[in-house]
Amino acid sequence: MIELQEWILTLLIAAPLAGAAAVALFGTAGAGGDRPAEGTSARGLALAFSLLTAGLAVVAVALFFQARGPTGRPVADGGEYALVLDLSWVRDTDSIRRQVDFRYHVGVDGLSLWLLALTAFITPLAVWASFSGIRDRQREYYALMLLLEAGMIGVFCARDLLLFYIFFEFTLVPLFLLIGVWGGPQRRSAAGKFFLYTFAGSMLTFAGVLYLAWLAAAQHGGVFTFDLEKLYALQLTPRQQGWLFLAFFAGFAIKVPLFPFHTWLPLAHTEAPTAGSVLLAGVLLKLGTYGFLRFSLPMLPEAARAFAPFMAVLAIIGIIYGALVAWVQDDFKRLIAYSSVSHLGFCMLGMFALNTAGLTGALLYMVNHGLSTGALFLVVGMIYERYHTRAFGRVGGLARRMPWMAFFLLFFVLSSIALPGLNGFVSEFLVLLGTFTSGRAEGGYPAGPLGAPYAILAATGIILGAVYMLAFAGKVLFGPLREPEHTPDVSGGLTADLTRREIAILTPIALACVLIGVYPGMLTASIQPAVERQVLARVFAADGYELASDSGLRNADGGLKTASPGVPTTLVSSRTEGTGRREAFSPPPSHFSLPRYGFNDSRAASAAREEARR
Amino acid sequence: MNDLFGLLAPELIVTGGAAAVLLLGVSAAEPARGYTRLVALFSVFLAFCVTWYDPVEKPVELAGMRFGPLSYYVRLIALSIGMLVLLVNWHLPAPQERGEHFAMILFSLTGIMLTSLADDLVLLFLAVELVSVPNYVLVSIGRSDIRAQEAGLKYFFLGALSAGLLVYGFSFLYGASGTTVLSRMSLAEEGGFVTVGLLLAFCGLAFKVAAVPFHTYAADVYQGAAAPVTGLLGFFPKVAGFVAFIKLLLLVQPPAQVLARGWDLPSPAFVFLWMAAAATMTVGNVLGLMQSNVKRMLAYSSIAHSGYMLVALLAGPVVSGGPLRDGLSAMLFYIVIYGVMNLGAFAVLALIQVRGAPAEELDDLAGLSRREPLAALALAVCVFSLMGMPPTAGFFGKVYVFSTALATDPSMGRGPAMVALAVVGLLNSAVAAGYYLRIVAACYLREPVAEPAARPRDHGVRLGLLGCCVAVLVLGVWPEGLLKMARMPFDDLTAPAGAVTRLEQNPPLILPAIPAVNGEPLVMTHPRPPGQGQLPQPRIVSPTLAPPSSAFLIESTGTKR
Repeated sequence: MIELQEWILTLLIAAPLAGAAAVALFGTAGAGGDRPAEGTSARGLALAFSLLTAGLAVVAVALFFQARGPTGRPVADGGEYALVLDLSWVRDTDSIRRQVDFRYHVGVDGLSLWLLALTAFITPLAVWASFSGIRDRQREYYALMLLLEAGMIGVFCARDLLLFYIFFEFTLVPLFLLIGVWGGPQRRSAAGKFFLYTFAGSMLTFAGVLYLAWLAAAQHGGVFTFDLEKLYALQLTPRQQGWLFLAFFAGFAIKVPLFPFHTWLPLAHTEAPTAGSVLLAGVLLKLGTYGFLRFSLPMLPEAARAFAPFMAVLAIIGIIYGALVAWVQDDFKRLIAYSSVSHLGFCMLGMFALNTAGLTGALLYMVNHGLSTGALFLVVGMIYERYHTRAFGRVGGLARRMPWMAFFLLFFVLSSIALPGLNGFVSEFLVLLGTFTSGRAEGGYPAGPLGAPYAILAATGIILGAVYMLAFAGKVLFGPLREPEHTPDVSGGLTADLTRREIAILTPIALACVLIGVYPGMLTASIQPAVERQVLARVFAADGYELASDSGLRNADGGLKTASPGVPTTLVSSRTEGTGRREAFSPPPSHFSLPRYGFNDSRAASAAREEARR
Repeated sequence: MNDLFGLLAPELIVTGGAAAVLLLGVSAAEPARGYTRLVALFSVFLAFCVTWYDPVEKPVELAGMRFGPLSYYVRLIALSIGMLVLLVNWHLPAPQERGEHFAMILFSLTGIMLTSLADDLVLLFLAVELVSVPNYVLVSIGRSDIRAQEAGLKYFFLGALSAGLLVYGFSFLYGASGTTVLSRMSLAEEGGFVTVGLLLAFCGLAFKVAAVPFHTYAADVYQGAAAPVTGLLGFFPKVAGFVAFIKLLLLVQPPAQVLARGWDLPSPAFVFLWMAAAATMTVGNVLGLMQSNVKRMLAYSSIAHSGYMLVALLAGPVVSGGPLRDGLSAMLFYIVIYGVMNLGAFAVLALIQVRGAPAEELDDLAGLSRREPLAALALAVCVFSLMGMPPTAGFFGKVYVFSTALATDPSMGRGPAMVALAVVGLLNSAVAAGYYLRIVAACYLREPVAEPAARPRDHGVRLGLLGCCVAVLVLGVWPEGLLKMARMPFDDLTAPAGAVTRLEQNPPLILPAIPAVNGEPLVMTHPRPPGQGQLPQPRIVSPTLAPPSSAFLIESTGTKR
């Protein structure tokens, strides 16, 4: 078991790679459409390997929750890393003066686990969804999909900055080809723009990466290393932090995309094949936000706090501008692309609120956006396959002809505009809450950089989001039926409404949306401690705050930061009592205690169930 | 093996191979002519084995040459890439021209190896020219194309000009120091003569490596030459040029001084090289963007990559603490990677033909992945490596070069300039991605315009291409071996003086006719004139007797192992 724990992430990266090789070598092109292909079809192989990866991801999640830290406490509760494998990769320490130590260091914590799971969950669905759309050059297509999956998983597993960067860059190549070969009419310019824009930004990030490693070498006995633990421990001057923040910003902000750097996104999204859009929106945009969360905040805390208002302003402009532009689009995919700009603005805003609620919300937002927007692209792709148009003007009133599609489209639109009870609500609420309370220094905790004005401005984005999304759903689904001539195209085994395959693709995502909507504690229980330990504790380390061994931040010289007695005992503590693992625990002060906000019932219920079982 | 024949065995083998190839090539008998290529390949392989199994552990000086880790490394890379070059050229020359063609390649290889050995200005000049002259021939030999003739002529005349600049610069250096022996020269004191001499020599070498403003020939020559030859042009003159650069720069900054004060080039040299590096990168990449001919594109890419290597050269061997701060090693590392990926890209161009003519234009490559998926994949691997994408070798080349530039000690006052240069370089990589991407896009994203097809029965190119791709991918995943080798030449700057064994056949010759400089007599060794019969047994001069200033610390291996 210990062996598997160490190697599971490597297996997760290797499985899609092996799949890509298998598809490229043994796959045969199927007939396209829903008809079965003869021989080992490339798409069947690809689906099998992506499902295998998803299975491995389930194992990885299970192992993560089983893993215990040195104190015997589950690492999921402590926000620590698990499933770690640390191997020497490029090592040269013979010379006294030039020591190099690049490591193959992988592991997951609460920050990366769910993004990893999202990747493994959504890729098989994207592969399956391509069955009807991709009829040309299938072998290459499915091999590239699997390569892309390997790259994305690698990004979330890496605990070495160089390894992260390698996977981060590597994802460009398969996506460039996916957009450029199988995309829409303007695919070549879209692919080129996507690649060059992101590549240019990441070159500056690369400069930052190398500079950071050199600073690490200067402070760590001359060993040139990219290991995250060593980089986190660096003492950087504010000036160095500022430059490094800008360097990382160049790469990550383009990837997110943050407001003035978003121009590549609509074109890339519009022209990409359905599965490409799904993975681009679902996972690849998160590489940028994840980069901020994993590197910019914890490594460059002072710069992060100094730049936070600036970042928040960009995020808010993105929220409002993205929503307004989405409102006036006459192209489905372009609308969803601009909605991504708006949504990821929320994500960035929550992140730079720099408190538990905001950061937890931001991370949850990444997962939720991946589910909802990915699913929206899937549905829109299904419409496109039947009508060969993405223009609002040409189709309408489809609810009559495609009731199943109408159900799913409306469902994901509602999830996207954060209807309470669905996944989007939780994260959006947490983000706004975090932003709102950011300016208050409650319970001895340091004040974050943002405040109510930011939250109020951002909240207008919610209204605008509802406006354009509902308008979109209304135009497409309701009103008189409008169809271009000679459509719907039912070649390749499609039917007028969704086929069983397509329903089977959308159902798991819908279920996941409901599940997260009603029981977000499943995710936040591991996200929150990770956010506090991996990010917040480092951001506020300079102010003398450090992480208590149990939970929550505390002041290094002031002992435990006990909150006011009026704060009710939280569920985390009740659970620890119930399991007899009582530790010195301070009830988190108000704005850190997530369970008070909305979704503590489910956790209470689960804790009660757990207790009852005993 | 401390005699001249033993030490020079690889060069002698390759030269012997070249002579044999020439003879076989002109022989009337068809079977004998058939062996020319095998003989050429075998001689290079044999030389490689000899070098590999007899590393010169302790640096040895003999007859104006210096055998040490630098020459060991350069010989190994020249010979191993030389084998790939031979394979890529396998089917290029017509049967009656094979002798000349392969002999020229072998002579050029010998020149590279001699460049790495040269410890004397005269030998250095001759060696660098020995690399270039066969290249002039190779560009136009066996080509009836008018552009090839133009290219050959242009290359020759500009090359002759650069040779003139180089030798003129060397004469100034000789005048300033009073000796031609590199290890006895000390140019550390700035002076008009030294500056003029250095800058002239730099200009000559800038031509060899195609650095701005001496790059103008590159595009025409690369376009005019046959693709396999172009693959060679990107590597052979560059290695020789950069090795010569290293030798000159270490004259300006003697190891003892580097040790004491860090790498701090005198301002004229620094400014010249800084501007050359920045301009070379930028001009190469910006002009590359405007090309539609793949060979010209790769020619400008070759110019840009020279710029990256100049960045590494400027960073120099820094010894005052800190890791990976060895620009010279980074450059030696990068040049191998560049040689392999560039050769691979040209090998694909050599392999693919459109309507019976070699592929040259972007349109010729359109839809290549449909027609020749493996060739397209190989080209994509090499081009992504040129772009610096992980997980290819080019990525680690960038890591090594630019981290070195960023790590320049800020206390030397050059820190900000080097950081700026690194940022310019990285932005340039982004610009370069623009045209590299067009090559990949042509192969994968476009529908075929013409009918690109691989040459049938051309297995030499296929094998060479396979070798290049394997090297690019292996070095991209596991660069450690080459990294360790590349740092060896500059590893032990700190080693104690006196680790050098100096074998001398003749005592230093004092020339009474030349006046003394600074009150010291001019000292000059000269290679023994030929035809004096038996070689005398080398006399080992105790290192302790050698004056400390003459100890060439760079190649000493010190107390290692």
